[in-house]
Amino acid sequence: MVGLTPRVDYLADFCRPLGGLAAGRPRVLCHGVEIFLSTARKQVYVYDQERRLLTAVYTFPGQVWHLEVLSLRRAIYVLCAGRGIYCLSLDQPRRSPSQHDEDDEGSEPPFPVIPVDPDACVLPDATLCAFTVLDTMLVTLAQGPAHWKVQLFRCPYPGQDPRPRGQIGEVDLSSCTPLARSPGEPKAPLFPPVLYCVSPPGPGVPHGHLHGTRGFTLEGSLFGLLFGADATLMESPVLLVGLPSGQLCCIVLKTLGTSGLATSDPKGTVKVLHHLEEPVIFIGALRTEPLAEDMEDTYSDCLVALGHHGRTLAIKARRDEAGSLEPVLREYCLPGPVLCAACDGDGRVYHSTPSGLCVVDLARAGAPWGPVQPSTGPGGLPSLPCPASLRVHSVLALFVSPGVPEGGTKLLALSAKGRLMTCSLDLSSETSRPAAETAASAGRKVKELLGAIGTISERVSSLKKAVDQRNRALTRLNEAMNVSCTLLSSQKGRRPVSCTTSATWSRLGLRDVLTATCLLENRSAFGLGPGWALCVQVLPSSHASDLASAGSAVTYTLPVGQLGPGGRWEMTLPLGPGEDGVLDLPVTVSYMLFYSLREVVGGALAPSGSFRDPSLDRGASDIAPEQEGVCLPLGEHTVDLLQALRFPGLATPCTPGPGPLGPARDPVDTFLAAQCRPGSEPAGLTSLRAKHLPPSAAAIRVSAELLRAALGDRHSGATLCCAALQWLLADNAAADVVRACALASVQGVAPDGADVHLTAREVAVADLCPAGPIAAVEIQVESPSLASTCGVHHAVVRRVQRMVSEQAAQGPSPPDLRVQYLHQIQASHETLLREVQTLCDQRSTEDEASPCATAGRLLRVYEQLRSPSLPLL
Amino acid sequence: MSHQTPLGSLVPQANCLDLWRDKNDQLVRQAKVAQDLSFHLRRQQLAQDSLEGLRRLLDSLQGLPAAVPVLPLELTVICNFITLRASLAQGFTEDQAQDIHRGLERVLETQEQLGPRLECGLRGLWSSVLCASSLQPELLPVLHHLAGLQIAFWLSTDCLEDLTLLLQTLNGSQSNASEDLLMLLKTWNPPAKESNAPLTLQDAWGLRAVLLTASAYRQGLQELITGSLPRALSSLHEAASGLCSRTVLVQVYTALGTCLRKMGSPQRALLYLVAALKGGSTWGPPLMEASRLYQQLGNTAAELESLELLVEALSITHSSEISHLLIGVELLLPQPDPASLLHCGTQSQVKHLLASRCLQTGRAEDAAEHYLDLLALLLDDSEPKFFPPHCPPGPCMPEVFLEAAAALIQAGRAQDALTICEELFSRMSVLLPKMPRLWEDARKGTKESPHCPPWVSAMHLLQGQAWMRLGAQKEAISEFSRCLELLFQASPKDKEQGPASNCEQGCTSDMALQQLRAAALISRGLEWVASDQDTKALQDFLLSIQVCPGNQDASFHLLQTLRKLGRRDEATALWRRLEAQTKLPQENATWSVPLYLETCLSWIHPPDRETLLEEFRTSLLETCDL
Repeated sequence: MVGLTPRVDYLADFCRPLGGLAAGRPRVLCHGVEIFLSTARKQVYVYDQERRLLTAVYTFPGQVWHLEVLSLRRAIYVLCAGRGIYCLSLDQPRRSPSQHDEDDEGSEPPFPVIPVDPDACVLPDATLCAFTVLDTMLVTLAQGPAHWKVQLFRCPYPGQDPRPRGQIGEVDLSSCTPLARSPGEPKAPLFPPVLYCVSPPGPGVPHGHLHGTRGFTLEGSLFGLLFGADATLMESPVLLVGLPSGQLCCIVLKTLGTSGLATSDPKGTVKVLHHLEEPVIFIGALRTEPLAEDMEDTYSDCLVALGHHGRTLAIKARRDEAGSLEPVLREYCLPGPVLCAACDGDGRVYHSTPSGLCVVDLARAGAPWGPVQPSTGPGGLPSLPCPASLRVHSVLALFVSPGVPEGGTKLLALSAKGRLMTCSLDLSSETSRPAAETAASAGRKVKELLGAIGTISERVSSLKKAVDQRNRALTRLNEAMNVSCTLLSSQKGRRPVSCTTSATWSRLGLRDVLTATCLLENRSAFGLGPGWALCVQVLPSSHASDLASAGSAVTYTLPVGQLGPGGRWEMTLPLGPGEDGVLDLPVTVSYMLFYSLREVVGGALAPSGSFRDPSLDRGASDIAPEQEGVCLPLGEHTVDLLQALRFPGLATPCTPGPGPLGPARDPVDTFLAAQCRPGSEPAGLTSLRAKHLPPSAAAIRVSAELLRAALGDRHSGATLCCAALQWLLADNAAADVVRACALASVQGVAPDGADVHLTAREVAVADLCPAGPIAAVEIQVESPSLASTCGVHHAVVRRVQRMVSEQAAQGPSPPDLRVQYLHQIQASHETLLREVQTLCDQRSTEDEASPCATAGRLLRVYEQLRSPSLPLL
Repeated sequence: MSHQTPLGSLVPQANCLDLWRDKNDQLVRQAKVAQDLSFHLRRQQLAQDSLEGLRRLLDSLQGLPAAVPVLPLELTVICNFITLRASLAQGFTEDQAQDIHRGLERVLETQEQLGPRLECGLRGLWSSVLCASSLQPELLPVLHHLAGLQIAFWLSTDCLEDLTLLLQTLNGSQSNASEDLLMLLKTWNPPAKESNAPLTLQDAWGLRAVLLTASAYRQGLQELITGSLPRALSSLHEAASGLCSRTVLVQVYTALGTCLRKMGSPQRALLYLVAALKGGSTWGPPLMEASRLYQQLGNTAAELESLELLVEALSITHSSEISHLLIGVELLLPQPDPASLLHCGTQSQVKHLLASRCLQTGRAEDAAEHYLDLLALLLDDSEPKFFPPHCPPGPCMPEVFLEAAAALIQAGRAQDALTICEELFSRMSVLLPKMPRLWEDARKGTKESPHCPPWVSAMHLLQGQAWMRLGAQKEAISEFSRCLELLFQASPKDKEQGPASNCEQGCTSDMALQQLRAAALISRGLEWVASDQDTKALQDFLLSIQVCPGNQDASFHLLQTLRKLGRRDEATALWRRLEAQTKLPQENATWSVPLYLETCLSWIHPPDRETLLEEFRTSLLETCDL
């Protein structure tokens, strides 16, 4: 729009306001020639407009959240975060900067920096969020544990002893709860609540007088309509509270009182006027109707509230055809996000967005100087106001200077860069411009209008896009909900979405790698769409107990893509050996389905307009890691040495491709390979050593009865020993061969290249049971490599243990045992245990020189422990 | 001098423990110093600093894994922290429950029993902690202290079941299963803390005394409400003999007074009320109770006197007493609400009660003065006397004006009543429908006319009555007519319109509206009678009987007018009907009308109905005899 460039006059630079564009806390206000300014930091600056210099800086012990000047008392009230309200006298003698010698600059700033005395705190209360002053009263809003609390005090004088505190009234806004907060310290609300006082016209109220900076006199009809007959009759001021939740409440202040004991009943005292559904940024009152000839009082006839995203509420009173009063409520959408706003009592609302300062004229129906005059709706409120840009950017605090000649407006503004400026708008000359316009200017207007239409259609399409995005996100969320519900409701039994694993060796480049093949099966009725990911965590068990190396767990996150009902999805993961050639078994593989809320919802939440909304950005990044998505555990699987054994001696009809390579190679090759890859040297050496050292062995005995019960009908057709081996190797790729050959003894190769003998044979244990010998199966592991023996033995023990615990739940009671024998075994084991402990202690205290002897003894003890003396029954 | 060793160097753990302990002791001493300070602001700041220090100490203690040797100190710090925080905030919040929860978890951590119990809340935590702590006797004193705070929290939040269970566990007496809270509290015997234990702000025994008083008082109040008076009496006696501040003692005595009044021993009740008045600076509740007592005794003079004293007492804004930095009985009492027995209202509410009682008991002059005082109190702008006018069940502001006008008329100050009505009208005129347009539309026959609140009609009625007293018949009749016009336009169905006042239901009830119409018609009729226009009067009286059949006054006035006009047959028929009605058992006027209307109705009441009927009977007999 043309002709709307204000005369901008830069006064001074200050610190950048804290919190950037979303701060909401910087304040600027003007009293006489002095400008008071806070940048949401710890300082309040006093700036002299006439002399154009900073006259004083007050420093407070915390962030300054709000300022008010009460001219009646010649005092300034300051809300300091976490501390309370301070009161400073304006008449306090301040050192005049003129006394300073101009020459000695640098040694001291030319203005006094005054740290505020703690005694100036007239209302210590750490929970205060906002306040306002009204003639002789101080109204505060505190954030309680459950609700907001409004308190009314007699205004304390500067330097007055605050006891007795002079509290007059108190009420909880129980219908409006502050946002839920984590236990601990109350967090400051992102958007500060807004307080505004209005009074009815009356003999006790000075006409058109500003109470402090934020009070106004409303026209009687609007006042009575909004706040009721009682408030009108009592001529009581009314407090309007705009909350971050969007609620707009009113409290008739004269009904707010305490009888010494009781707080006011919120039901009778607090009324919710409206819900803006976005944080309230500003409440104000203005005059929209032209003044009648005989009226000299300028009362406001319209109440305005602005929300953060630009939703604006305007309320007026009018008479219907029959003559009864009725309210006219109108909601507008102004461009947001609104950083701050002000109104000049003359029908104009100024509001600042990151892209610029705009003015809306509610009296003249739309932009005050635009060519179009949209039709004025009933009740004198425009149906569609057009904001006009003033071309001043990123204003964080606004104040309309009083006492500017007719038709003009002077705004005090503080920008996001901390720059204080005045914007003078000379409106009278614009409004009285000649009616006849030249063709050239008309052409220009048309061009501008077309441009405006273009931007609007652009905005429409972007909004449409945003709506589509949100709809999509909602659909996906719904699907995700369904999947989560079915998964969570079927905790037991066969789960609708499951993951199975098998381990196989495969060739990857020059090395053989053990890979886990995971098969994700979706048997539920719902599809897994975008946003779902399968998280696979591979955790070497040796580290599981060791917290320090918990980082060695590897997590793979694979986006599922699209997996419809009945779909399967297979993926393979390398388990090792890694670069160092070491394969740590057993490995625990656990599966989780993860639904990323950020991926699905984040896009819909992102700002769609041309300007970015800092608060929304913050909102998105505020999602805590645990809130980022939904995590559904699917189960876990352990890959142990038994699965990693290879059986080159057996024919492997089902395994295509090259046979196992490394271990079967010629020793020379191995040696050469080890020379080429220095990193894998230990593995090569191990395999060499393995060939020349006496094999180590370990065994476990399981009672035949137990095995039979556990294996069930699986051992039918084979001897118990064969069946036991088959059962142990069931997850191995060679399982089929073992079954086919009905072997009771197999020889395999461990991942480190050592041979492993696995033998099952039937034995009878004699001394144990008084009833006679017990038939048992002894499973023996034998390998030249001690590590392999241990690993395989551990795997076998783990399986047997699981089997025993399963059988114990349902199986018959064990046969009678000879207790004395058991005692004996226990005693011998205890001595072994003690020996281990002393050896361990020795090892830790001994110097480096003689570890071998201890290690040897430890090995012996290990072998003794492994020698099977007691079968599992 | 171990506390001078810097923390950073290799201090053995015992010394670190000493350091923390010294810190705790120092903070507790600081809070106790703050307690004795008389300067409010400094006191508050010092106490806040102590609280902050305790929080930091707690943070550092809880930053390390829980360990048995440190636990007693840690739990003591938690107790001190909760005590100071609750007393500074003047009440318990969910935060305190969280603190207790955390402390219990820490105890269980050392027992390695955490896990499955996490879900069962504070109650389950307590039972498992107390089970576990039986193994560790050194923890018991401080656990009992913490349990005392938990009981205080549950008492203030009314979780009596949890509380009883905890006390039973503490006493180790699940078997005898005594449900009586007071008995349980009395048998609770917290183990004494060791002499070298860290300092506490308030120990378990102190807490126990406070809990006893508070629960006795709560129980007494509850029993008073449910009506089991003898039990309430004994509970309240128990509370009165306990340890509490003066403010609480006044409340207890007042409750005792209420209880004894209800039990029918007014003299004993009075003794307690006198004791309450002597006891403290909060005179409101006992004076209110005294006025109720005198009202019950029928001693109107004393009743009004106590109300007058109450108004005076409420006008003194007593400075809030310095609260102690301890858990006191006050913190554990239920939030006072307007419905409670001990609620005495605000100055303006009591003033209104006084004025209306004066009007009801026929002390019109006093009533008028009190109403004028009340209006001054409510409307005075020079002083910030911010008192709520009335809670929703009371009358709304326009009704207070109308009552004032009625009282003034009753007191023979008709001119002042007119002024009051004008004031009311001028203040509210902006909100009323525009009258001239209304009549214009009515002439044009517009379908809907705006609804006017009923109090506007009532105002015209009272104005008419005032003019009548001043002898201005014309004005009176025109006011009555305006009243009737508004009344018949306002159909009772569309009540929701118009500027909402909190409590307009009182004067919009159908019965009240009927009575208002009848009163206006009778008033106008009487005025016609006075100006010798009997036929018009007859019409109004007839109409009045129609709109409000329950009101017999109209029938009597009609009877008199018929007799005056000499229409004997109609008069006889009406007389027979009235005779029949008076022989029937008089149904009591159970419906209630606003006080101003009640006063107005009393003015138009025919002076002596019985004599009239009697006269008529004799005259009828005479005619029959003839």
